[in-house]
Amino acid sequence: MRSVLGFLAPKLLRALVAVWLVTTVVFVVMRLSGDPVPLLLPPDAPTSEILRVRHDLGLDRPLPMQYATFVGNALRGDFGRSIHFREPAWSVVVGYLPATLELGLTAFGLALVVAVPIGMLSAIHRNSPVDHAAMGVALVGQSAPTFFLGILFILTLSLKLGWFPTSGRGGWEHLVLPALTLGAFSMASIARLTRSAVLDVLRQDYVRTARAKGLPELAVVAKHTLKNAALPVVTITGLQFGTLLGGAVVTETVFAWPGIGRLAIQSIYNRDYPIVQCTVFLSAILFIVLNFAIDLFYGVLDPRVRPR
Amino acid sequence: MSQLTRRELLKSAATAGAAAALAPALGGSAGAQTTPKRELVVAQGGDIGKLDPHFSTSSNDIRWSFNLFDNLTSRHPDGKLHPGLATEWKLSAPSTWTFKLRAGVKYHNGDPFSSADAKFSIERTYDPNVKTMVATALSTIDRIEAPDATTLVVHTKKPDPLLPARLAFYGGQIVPKKYVESVGNDAFNARPVGTGPVRYVSWTKDDKLVCEANPDYWGGKVDFDRLIMRSIPETAPRIASLLKGEVDVITQLPADQGERVAGNATTRVAGALYAGLYVMAVNSKRPPLDNPLVKQALSHAIDREAIVKELWRGRGVVPSGPIAKGDNHFDPSLPPLAYNPSAARDLLRKAGYKNEEIVIETTVAYLSNDKQMSEAIQGMWRDAGINAKVEVIEYSVRAQKNREKSFKGIFWSDPTSTLGDPDGMMWRLLGPGGPQDYWRHPRFDELGNAARFSVDEKFRGEAYREMTKIFLEHFPWVPVIQPYEDYGLQKYVEFTPNPNQQFEIRRFNFKFKRA
Repeated sequence: MRSVLGFLAPKLLRALVAVWLVTTVVFVVMRLSGDPVPLLLPPDAPTSEILRVRHDLGLDRPLPMQYATFVGNALRGDFGRSIHFREPAWSVVVGYLPATLELGLTAFGLALVVAVPIGMLSAIHRNSPVDHAAMGVALVGQSAPTFFLGILFILTLSLKLGWFPTSGRGGWEHLVLPALTLGAFSMASIARLTRSAVLDVLRQDYVRTARAKGLPELAVVAKHTLKNAALPVVTITGLQFGTLLGGAVVTETVFAWPGIGRLAIQSIYNRDYPIVQCTVFLSAILFIVLNFAIDLFYGVLDPRVRPR
Repeated sequence: MSQLTRRELLKSAATAGAAAALAPALGGSAGAQTTPKRELVVAQGGDIGKLDPHFSTSSNDIRWSFNLFDNLTSRHPDGKLHPGLATEWKLSAPSTWTFKLRAGVKYHNGDPFSSADAKFSIERTYDPNVKTMVATALSTIDRIEAPDATTLVVHTKKPDPLLPARLAFYGGQIVPKKYVESVGNDAFNARPVGTGPVRYVSWTKDDKLVCEANPDYWGGKVDFDRLIMRSIPETAPRIASLLKGEVDVITQLPADQGERVAGNATTRVAGALYAGLYVMAVNSKRPPLDNPLVKQALSHAIDREAIVKELWRGRGVVPSGPIAKGDNHFDPSLPPLAYNPSAARDLLRKAGYKNEEIVIETTVAYLSNDKQMSEAIQGMWRDAGINAKVEVIEYSVRAQKNREKSFKGIFWSDPTSTLGDPDGMMWRLLGPGGPQDYWRHPRFDELGNAARFSVDEKFRGEAYREMTKIFLEHFPWVPVIQPYEDYGLQKYVEFTPNPNQQFEIRRFNFKFKRA
């Protein structure tokens, strides 16, 4: 029990420092880069009116004082009121979360389900046409910007072929294009990594031994290769989840998907400080929890990294 | 830069297979010019922020708030003021407007509308305890009386010829006194109640706002049962959703995308001339721009016809002066600003211009085509012997320079005519202490001030005529274009939009074509 604690405690501490740093940087950068008030008021509002609203929102106080208030409230779970929506920031952000989780998990699942078999297939049949085709597509998937890919999907699969709706959230058919767009990068990198990891393992002595024993190829791959190739794949998969969160910003904007990525972008445009701080905080927590989970999962897969 | 690539992408994709692309997408409904639809779906370019109309002036919010609420007066697509909740109004003393209110109107929750609501609603905008975002919109008002249920008497601090116009725009939406007072401002923002042609049903942020038709609307029930306002922020997907038939109307259609919508078998473009102008505002304190002859040369050296034709695909008109077409006191006899490069060269010689650098500070896509127009004009000026340089600045830098009045020379501005009158446009911005006060002229100031407080429209007309003449000698702005604000519509939608983004949908300007 103690050893588990010893394993977790430093990680937890580092995570807390990371959250604090991220929220602080966002706090300062947002305040230095613009003022929400002219965006709230009509274009003909006089300066006195701008000053009045700045005072009402507490934006005329010195930055360190604003920061102290922010930290004090955040520790109590209060992220302030959205300037744009006039509602508590936390409840606004939480309202956007299901849409992002739905999209992110679907994209992630899609990436895994497609990428791992393709990567394995490519490795087993390396330098065959199958391998070349799969890796060619993966290269495109990895290098095409999300924005480009999203618009391309809308124009071809939606507008030209009429298979899917162009945008918005609704039934499963609304989910396909954004999930494909968001998952494309991860899918490509997971496929490429699976291929090289499997290739690596296939060259190992124990695989040669297994083959020499006369085991059927399927058993060699399923039993001896897969488990050993999984370690690097799990690592990259965990990191990919972070990429997904970042990619959600663009994907959600292109597909008018009402998730927190789009909320974050809109709130930056609107200089809605409380919402931006809250989304960043939530994303940081999510990211850290995931990395944690991956660390633990590592221990399950590889006895050598388990705390002794 | 990314803007450009997006457009390029869209264009190439469009030419690659526009015709072929659309036929299968539209399936059986191809060529449908009529519809049995009872639901109107509108996609706009940004999200709605607040439902309480007194807390927002953003165009994404007012596009629907002018449908849930009524104003006392209403500006129709013809640009004129028409009765709203007030049936008639007149000046009963130089500083007193008396409004006759519509009887028998009910709010969406069944409460009757009366003069007490109008008084409450207007006073709420500048009540320091409510802290609205429209506190200055109606601040010319001194006090309001409601002598009986259908009469409202408004006393202004000074004579205010434009009060009925002010009441037609933001801040003027009439909210229910009893309901707001009983539930409070936050609950009202969450579940708004008005008298307008549609009533609130539900809202999913950044996704869709659902309303249903008010069957008892005093102006007649609108031609649909449900209204859905969606937000699709990117232009390309917004257009795709229209072409595919998922939505009936899209807002904010850029001029260079109009051909895509117009060239499609089932969609069309409808526009309203922008209530305002796109101008190059001039920091007239910086030499050589303090010399009126130089500024006249700048104006003469711009080929506006070419800009309208090439950059705006014809979706705009060449201005004739500082007053937007469609506004009060616009002078139709004035010719459009002329392109005359040889006159420009003569003026420069006369001014003693010694090739001093003139800096154009432009944003990218803050106004449509701002950077493209800057580069085109830089070239035109170079041909006329003017040494101009284009500097690209961020939007936030522009906001700061605007506040500090520190522009180096020329900058873009899109003065909106908030009241359909020169007072709400050139005088508001160019007047002493205004946001673009870089140039003073005693006679111009005297006339602008007198016209602001005069209730004699004949006098005001003469004043603005003379101010225009002074303007055209000094060019505190170099007007470039009055563009159209375009919407994309399904052909089965008959809709005439307003010139000022209000997007009022009423029985008289909206209809589905039925088979």
